[in-house]
Amino acid sequence: MTQDRRILVGVVAGAHGVKGELKIKSFTANPRAVASYGPLGDRTGMRSFRLKLRGAVRGLLIARIDGVEDRDQAEALKGLELYVARDVLPKPKRGEWYLADLVGLAAITTDGTPIGRVKAMHNFGAGDIVEIERADAPALMLPFSKRIVPEVDVAAGRIVVDPPAEVEVKAEDAAAELAGPDQPGAAA
Amino acid sequence: MARSVWKGPFIDGYLLKKAEKSRESKRNEIIKIWSRRSTILPQFVGLTFGVYNGHKFLPVLVTEHMVGHKFGEFAPTRVFHGHTAGDKKATRSE
Repeated sequence: MTQDRRILVGVVAGAHGVKGELKIKSFTANPRAVASYGPLGDRTGMRSFRLKLRGAVRGLLIARIDGVEDRDQAEALKGLELYVARDVLPKPKRGEWYLADLVGLAAITTDGTPIGRVKAMHNFGAGDIVEIERADAPALMLPFSKRIVPEVDVAAGRIVVDPPAEVEVKAEDAAAELAGPDQPGAAA
Repeated sequence: MARSVWKGPFIDGYLLKKAEKSRESKRNEIIKIWSRRSTILPQFVGLTFGVYNGHKFLPVLVTEHMVGHKFGEFAPTRVFHGHTAGDKKATRSE
């Protein structure tokens, strides 16, 4: 499933200076890693580019590409998307998965009932969250934990989910409960 | 100005009660809450809360590093839809 896929790792944001240097917007977890995966390809995979990093400015990387010698050639590459083959990325550690591998997997329950597909992975500071898109209901947001996602099988294209029960705690219910039966506003 | 120490951390009282019940039941459940202002206490560690961000309930699996922060800090109300890093990895928590 993952062998023939290509992953977008950067885009040419423009030219830098007059000597053919380029500004690169990196989409890798460590921005400088964009040049560490070997030659990068374009969208079609027909052309190949080898990046040589020169520095960074205002959140963008400055790089050179072989064969680009002046500003006109550099400007002609503006907007070029840079891809890397999925199998070039290093194998993740045990218990880790590339987000690119997880998105699109089928989600099924522990008894084999299909739920939907993994739409996205999020992390807002409280651990990874898996968002499952369902056909007939709003998207489901679940923590990406061993208890709730006991099995991840990228090769088979599925994750097994044990959806937890949901309990609501509304302020007004709790206030009525705390007020007691003889207090105004308490539940009858 | 920081909150006075003598007052103790702020928390909506009903959350404590609910968290206690959930911990005793040992069920696999998400406690949906609207109280983004409540402080995360040590007794919440290990529980999963669904914190409302005005749109949906975002799961927050409480770990010891979150103690002292507010629930709202982990459920942003505005989401930046930038490009996700292609080589970013996800780790399954315990």
